[in-house]
Amino acid sequence: MAKVAREMVEKTGIDVDQLVALLVKNASAELTTFYYYTILRVNLIGLEGEGLKEIAETARIEDRNHFEALTPRIYELGGKLPGDMKVFHDISACPPASLPADPTDIRAMLNVLVEAERCAVRGYTYLCNLTAGKDHRTYDLCLAILNEEIEHEAWFSEFLGEGPSGHFLRRGDTSPWVGKFLR
Amino acid sequence: MQERQFTIAELSRYNGKSGAPALIAYHGLVYDVSASFLWQNGSHWVLHGAGADLTDELVDAPHSAELLKRFPVVGILHHADV
Repeated sequence: MAKVAREMVEKTGIDVDQLVALLVKNASAELTTFYYYTILRVNLIGLEGEGLKEIAETARIEDRNHFEALTPRIYELGGKLPGDMKVFHDISACPPASLPADPTDIRAMLNVLVEAERCAVRGYTYLCNLTAGKDHRTYDLCLAILNEEIEHEAWFSEFLGEGPSGHFLRRGDTSPWVGKFLR
Repeated sequence: MQERQFTIAELSRYNGKSGAPALIAYHGLVYDVSASFLWQNGSHWVLHGAGADLTDELVDAPHSAELLKRFPVVGILHHADV
């Protein structure tokens, strides 16, 4: 634990135990999404599926990066990850991004993907609002993750025909915003 | 069919704990969120609890009331005991 770092956050009036619980729930969402996206990705085949595979893979890797980036902050603030992986799964901030009953239904696949990203965007928006101007380090981390989650949502949303975002596929390294927390 | 009416006291018993259904109220309607992954044990994001009128709390939530349409309405809340 980083004693003074936690104390500084407490002095702002933030309920640090509650904040840590939210960070753990979001860390769970990231790691479980990484797992479920692995299954989605391998099933993205055929003429329609192959077109989605690359962005699904980028989102999958970046979600794993988010888990990696969140974990040190949880421990800095005096929290910890559950010792039981099953418990960790079940406290996720987002529902499981399970493979649709018909994995050849690409629209159903897209709906699973976009719903997962929308849950993440909502979650990190809340965390940014909670920590803005108070817990600078958690805010910086959550804002970096939020930037990537918003792009993930836009990628999948565009495939659903919901309108353009002006984004393109990720070029260069993954996690252009969160990368600074991983080095 | 007559809609079931809940008082605040009755609603509080449906807190999602110990096998109880998880019901929440929003603008007078009572929704059953028991089936939601995000309402396990009657707790949502460690911030909100079932068995309560969440009309005021939803104002600060990072989602609109639109999401409530995913859940069945099981009654109406009447505030006679408030």
